[in-house]
Amino acid sequence: MLLPFLLALHAVTAVLLPWLVRVAGPRAFLLACLPPAATVVWVLSRAPEIVAGRPATSSIAWVPALGIDLDFRVDALALAMVLLVSGVGAVIFGYCARYFHTGERGIGRLAAVLVLFAGAMLGVVSTDNLFALFVFWELTSITSFLLIGNDDRKEQARRAATQALITTAGFGLPMLVGFILLGEIGGSYRISELVAAPPTASPWLPVALVLILAGAFAKSAQVPLHYWLPGAMVAPTPVSAYLHAAAMVKGGVYLIARLAPGFADVDPWRALVLTFGLATMLIGGWRALRQDDLKLLLAYGTVSQLGFLTLLAGAGTQVAAVAAIGALLAHGFFKSALFLTVGVIDHQAGTRSIGALSGLGRRMPVLAAAAALAAASMAGVPPMLGFVVKEAALEAFLPGHAAGMPPGAAAAVLTGVLLASILTFAYSARFVWGAFADKAAVSERRFPHPSAAFVAAPVSLAAVSLATGALAFLLDPLAQSYAAPFDAGGQPYHLALWHGPTPALGLSALVIAVGVLLFYRREGVARIQRAMPRWPDAETGYHLFVHATYAFALGVTRRLQSGSLPVYLGVILAMLLALPGARLVVVLVTGDVAAPGAGEGFRVWNSPLEGVVALLIVVTAVATVREHRRFPALILISAMGFGIAGLFALYGAPDLALTLVLVETLTTVILVFVLRRLPATFGTRPNGWGKRLTVLLCAATGTFIAVSLWLMTAARTDAPVSLGYAPRAHEAGGDNLVNLILADFRALDTFGEVVVLATAAIAVASLVLLNRRARVVEESGADPLEEEGAAGSDGEGDPAAGNGLAAGAGGTGADSGPAGEGDRS
Amino acid sequence: MNLLIAVPFVVPLLGAAATLLLRRAPRAQQVASAVTLAVVIADSTLLLAATADGTVVASQAGGWAAPLGITLVVDPLAALLLLVSSVVLLIVLLYAIGQDISGLSRAVPQVFHPIYLVLTAGVCLSFLSGDLFNLFVGFEIMLTASYALITQAPTRARVRASMIYTVVGLTSSIFFLTGIALVYALTGTVNLADVAEKLGAAPAGLRMVLALLFLVVFGIKAAIVPMHFWLPDSYPVAITRISAIFAALLTKVAVYAIIRTQTLLFGRDDVSTVMMWIAIATMVIGILGALVQDDINRIMSFALVSHIGFMVFGLALNSVAGIAGVLVYLVHHIVVQATLFLVNGLIRQYVGHTSLRSIRGLTVVSPLLAIFFFLPALSLAGLPPMSGFVAKVALFQAGVQAGGWLIYLGLTAGVLTSLFTLMAIFRVWARAFWGTPLPDMLEARAELRRGPDFVGRRLMAATTGTMVGVGLLVAAAAGPLTDIAFTAARDLLDGRAYIEAVLPEGAP
Repeated sequence: MLLPFLLALHAVTAVLLPWLVRVAGPRAFLLACLPPAATVVWVLSRAPEIVAGRPATSSIAWVPALGIDLDFRVDALALAMVLLVSGVGAVIFGYCARYFHTGERGIGRLAAVLVLFAGAMLGVVSTDNLFALFVFWELTSITSFLLIGNDDRKEQARRAATQALITTAGFGLPMLVGFILLGEIGGSYRISELVAAPPTASPWLPVALVLILAGAFAKSAQVPLHYWLPGAMVAPTPVSAYLHAAAMVKGGVYLIARLAPGFADVDPWRALVLTFGLATMLIGGWRALRQDDLKLLLAYGTVSQLGFLTLLAGAGTQVAAVAAIGALLAHGFFKSALFLTVGVIDHQAGTRSIGALSGLGRRMPVLAAAAALAAASMAGVPPMLGFVVKEAALEAFLPGHAAGMPPGAAAAVLTGVLLASILTFAYSARFVWGAFADKAAVSERRFPHPSAAFVAAPVSLAAVSLATGALAFLLDPLAQSYAAPFDAGGQPYHLALWHGPTPALGLSALVIAVGVLLFYRREGVARIQRAMPRWPDAETGYHLFVHATYAFALGVTRRLQSGSLPVYLGVILAMLLALPGARLVVVLVTGDVAAPGAGEGFRVWNSPLEGVVALLIVVTAVATVREHRRFPALILISAMGFGIAGLFALYGAPDLALTLVLVETLTTVILVFVLRRLPATFGTRPNGWGKRLTVLLCAATGTFIAVSLWLMTAARTDAPVSLGYAPRAHEAGGDNLVNLILADFRALDTFGEVVVLATAAIAVASLVLLNRRARVVEESGADPLEEEGAAGSDGEGDPAAGNGLAAGAGGTGADSGPAGEGDRS
Repeated sequence: MNLLIAVPFVVPLLGAAATLLLRRAPRAQQVASAVTLAVVIADSTLLLAATADGTVVASQAGGWAAPLGITLVVDPLAALLLLVSSVVLLIVLLYAIGQDISGLSRAVPQVFHPIYLVLTAGVCLSFLSGDLFNLFVGFEIMLTASYALITQAPTRARVRASMIYTVVGLTSSIFFLTGIALVYALTGTVNLADVAEKLGAAPAGLRMVLALLFLVVFGIKAAIVPMHFWLPDSYPVAITRISAIFAALLTKVAVYAIIRTQTLLFGRDDVSTVMMWIAIATMVIGILGALVQDDINRIMSFALVSHIGFMVFGLALNSVAGIAGVLVYLVHHIVVQATLFLVNGLIRQYVGHTSLRSIRGLTVVSPLLAIFFFLPALSLAGLPPMSGFVAKVALFQAGVQAGGWLIYLGLTAGVLTSLFTLMAIFRVWARAFWGTPLPDMLEARAELRRGPDFVGRRLMAATTGTMVGVGLLVAAAAGPLTDIAFTAARDLLDGRAYIEAVLPEGAP
C-alpha cells in the first residue's frame, strides 16, 4: 500500500518547505499541495474496493513487544476522513499561496508545520493501531500548538497555544491509559480486531471507554472543554480553517465513530456521548449567535457542530452512522469555505467585525454567493449536503427509529437537535448578513478586489457542498459501508436529497421557519442574550486549575526545598529510621528472629579494657555534641577516633588500628589549620528543639545499626568466606592474610581505592592551584555577571530565595541568578 | 571475553593516566580522551552483542574463583547501560572539547580530562561489578571524580553547591558501607551471586531490613523523594558539561544499583508497596518543583528527580514488563537529560545564564537551537513519536497488566506528572523561545558570529545535534531496545543465569 510513502512524502515536503519559501516566497505553498493531492488521487483510485468492504492495509513494525506498530487500514470511515483531510488540505494550501505575503515573518516555519500537520492528521485517520493513533493524535496537538502560536510575539497567541496544548494533550494522557486498558482487556491493540470482537465482560471496560471519551471530547472541543477552540482563533485564518474547522477537531469525532460499532452499547458510552454532544450543540449555537467577530462566530459555530457530530458518531444506530459520515464531510466543506471567506474579507478589508463591514455583497458578489451557499449548507437548507445530513440526523432520533435508546431519551435528543438546528440557522443567516449585507449605520470601506485565484478556494469548497448535496446518492455507498455493522432492522437508511414527505422533512421546514423568525427578531435575541446571567465559564475553570497547580507547587516546593544541609541530612536519617529501622523494630517485636541472649555465652566484654575504651568513646561523643566552640569539638572528635582505634587494637587488628591512628592524626592536624580561618564558635549549629531532634535522630540511627549488627551476626547462616583464604595463602605466595587480601585476593578493590585517593589528591591540588589563578583573574576585573550570580545564591536569609523559586507564581523572588558559566570570566 | 569485560574499567584508567601526563599538550590530551571513550564504546558494543540473547558472562579478577576473589559480570542490563553511557560520555566530552577550543572556558583546568576518564571508569565498574564491596569501590571512584568535577571553575555558588553534594554523597557512602558490613555479618560473603544464594536461608525479617537499607542507600544517590533535595541544589550550578553528565548518568547508576540489588539479592522480599509510595511521592513532588522554577537548569533538575519516580514505579511492579519498562526508560532518560543540559549550555552562549526572566525569542536568535531544544523536550514530556513516549507506554502498560488499587494510584500520579511535565516544558518554550528577542541577545549572537572561536562553537553545536540524533535513534530503534530490555528483565527476575555464571558448581 502506498500510504506510508504518502506520509513520508508529507514529512519530506515539510523539511524542504522552509528553504523553498525562502527561495520562492509564499508560492512554495503550491508545492505543499502536492502530498495531500497525491493522497486524494491514491485514495480515490482505491475507493471502489474500499467501499466494497476490502480495506487497504499495510503494516510497519516499530515496537512489537509493546504492541506499538504502525498498522494502516483504510476502510470506508477512513476513506471519508482522508478525502476530508487531504482534499480540504490541498485546497487550503493553494489558498495560502495567496493569503501570505512575501517576506512575512515565519511563513517557512508555518508552511512546514502545516504540512506536518496534514501528514499527522492523515495518520490519525488511517491507522489501525491504538498506539499509532495516539502518536499521530499527539503530533496533531503539537503542530496545532506551533500553529496557534505562530505569531509568537503576541502574548495572546502564546497563551492560546499553551492552553490548547495543555487541554488536548493533557486529556490525551488519560486517553492513553484508556487505550492501554482497552488493549489489555481485549488482548490486541488493533482497532479493527477490538471493534470486531469487543471485550464485554471486563469491569474495567467502562473505565477504559470513559478515559478514551475524555480525550476525544477535549480534542473535539466538547463542553466544558471547548474553551480552547475560540482561543485558537488567533492563528492565521487558513490554519483555523484547516485545523480548527475541517481536520484536527474532527479527530475526537473520528475516534468516537471508529469505536462506536463495537462499544456504543456499553454503558455509559451512549449517555455520555448524547449528553455532552447535546450540551455542546446548544451552548455553541447560543454563543455563536452573539459574536461580533466573524471568525469567533464561526468558531462557536464549529463548537456547536462538533457537538452535533459527536452525537451522531456516538449514537450507535444505523441511521445516525449514515448521518455521521455525511455530516463529517458536510461540515468539513462548508466550514472551511466559510473560514476562507472570512480570510478573504479580513485580508482585503482589514477587519472581520460585523459592526464594521457593510456592502461587501455588492463589491464581491462571487464570494458572497459562495459564502451564502456554504452557510445554507450549515443551516440545513436544501439542496445542500448540510440539508441531506440534517434530514438523516432528525430521522435518527425520531420516536421508533432510535433502536437501543429509551424513547424518553430519544425524544429529548430530538428536541435538543431541533433547538440547536434553529440556532444554527439563525447564526448562519447572521453570518451572511453580517459579512455581506448593506448596513445603514456602517460606512463602507475601500479595499482592493481579491484576485480570482484567491477566491477560488472558498468558491470551490462551496461548490462541493452544493454538488454533494444534489448528488448525495454518490456518497451513500460510503456511508452504507461504514454503517453496515449496525443493526438497521432490515431497512437501512440511505443518504438522499428527497425521501418523500417524511416527518423529518416537516421538522426541517419547521427549523427553517423558526430560524428565519429568529433572524428577523435578532434585536430581541440580542437583548435576551445580554439579559442572561453569564454562565460560569469553562475557561475560568482552566485558569483556576492552572493557578491552583502553580500555587500548590510553589507552597510544596518552598517548604521542602529549604536549602539547608542539616535538614537534608536529617531527612535522610529519618528515612533510614522509617524504612529499615521500623522494619527492624517489627522483627524485634514479633520475635521473628531469636534475639541472642544471655543464655548463649553472653559476655559484657572480653577484657575490662574494652569497657574503658567504650566509656571514652561515649563520653567524648556526648561532649562533642554539647560543645559550642570549634577547637575543643575538634579535639574531642579526634579523641573519639583514637578510642575507636583502641577498640581495633583490642580486637586483634593492629594494622587497622595503626592506620586509623595515622588518619586521625593527619586529619586533626589539617583541621587545626583550617580552624585558624574560621570563627571560634559554631554560628550555624541548631539549638533547642532542632538540636534535640538532631541528637535523637543520630542516636536512633546508631542504635539501629548496632542492633542490626547484633542480630545479623547472630543469625549468620554460613561460614564466612574469609575462612577460605587461609588454605590458599600458600598458593598466593604469602603468610600475612590481610596483606594477601589487599594485594592479591581483592587487589581490584585496593587498586580502585588507590584511584580514589589519587583522584582526590589531583582534585584538591587543582582546586588550590586554580583558586590561586582564578583569584588573579578576579582581581583584574572579573565578569560582573558571575560575581552577581555567586553572591545571589549565597543569600542565606530566606531559604526559598536561595532556591530560585519563581516569583511570578506568588511572592518571594529568587535572585539565585544562576552562576554564569565560570568560563566567561 | 575476560579481556573484553575488563576493558571498560581498565582502559579509561589508562586513558586517565595518559591524559594526566599530557596535560601540557591540550590537543593530544583531547585526542587521547576521545580515543579512550571510543574504545569503550566499541567494547560495549561487542559485550552487548554477546549478551543480547540473555547470556551472562562472568570474569574472575585475578583468577581466584568466586566468592574468594572479585567477580566482574556482564549481562544484557550491564552491557546495554555500558553502551549507552559510553556513547553519552563521548558526546559530552566532544562538546567539552568544542567549548575548550572555542576559548569560552579558560577557567577549566587541564585535569578535567583525567578526572572525567576516572569517572568513566567508576561508572563502568559499577555496572560490571559482581561483588558488593567492589560495587562500593566503583561508586567511590565515580563519586570522588564527581566531587572533583563539581568544583571545577569554582565560584562561591559552586563551592556551596559542592558542599551539599559532597556531604550528602559521603553520607550515602557511609550507609552503603554499613550495609555491606551487615550483609557480611549475615551471610559471610560479599559476592553478589553468593549473597543471593545465602540470603535464602536467612530470616525473612532481617532480609527485609537489608532490602530497605539498600533502597535508602541507593535512593539517596538516585534522588528519590524525600532524599532528593541535594540534587536541584547542586546539579544546575555546575558547568554545562558536568551537569549534563551528572544528570544523565550518576542518578542512573544508582537506579541500576537499586535494580541489581532488589532483583538479585532481595527478589524474594516484597518491598513493592514501599517502592510504589516512594515512586508516587518522587514523581509528583519532583515535578511540582519543576513547575515553579525560573531557571531552565533547575527545571530540568527537578524534572530529573520526578522522572526517577517513573523508574521506581516500574521497579515496584516487580514484573518482567515493569522492569523492562524501567530499562527502556533508563536508556531514554540518560540520553534526553544529557541533551537538554547541553542545549542549556548553548543557551548560555547568548545570555550567559539560563534564567527564564531574561531570555526571549530564542527561535529567532537561533532556529537550530530551537529545534535542538524542542525535540528532546517532547521526549522528556513523553510525547510521541519520541523515545519518552515508548518508555512511558512500556511502564503504563506494565502497570495496567499488574493491576491493583495502589498501582492505579501510581498510574494516576504518572499521568499527572506527565501533564505537569508538559506544562513545565512548554512554559520554558513559550517564555524563552517565543517572543521578541532581547537586544543584548542579538548583540551576543552578532558577537559570537564575529568571534574567532568559530570552530569550537561549531563542534559544540554539532555534538548537541548528534545527541539529539541519538535521542531520535533511541526512538527509531525502540523495537530492538525493548526486546533487549525484556530479555534483561527476564534474566534479572529469574536470577539463575547470573548465579550460575558466577558460581558454576554452586557455592563452595
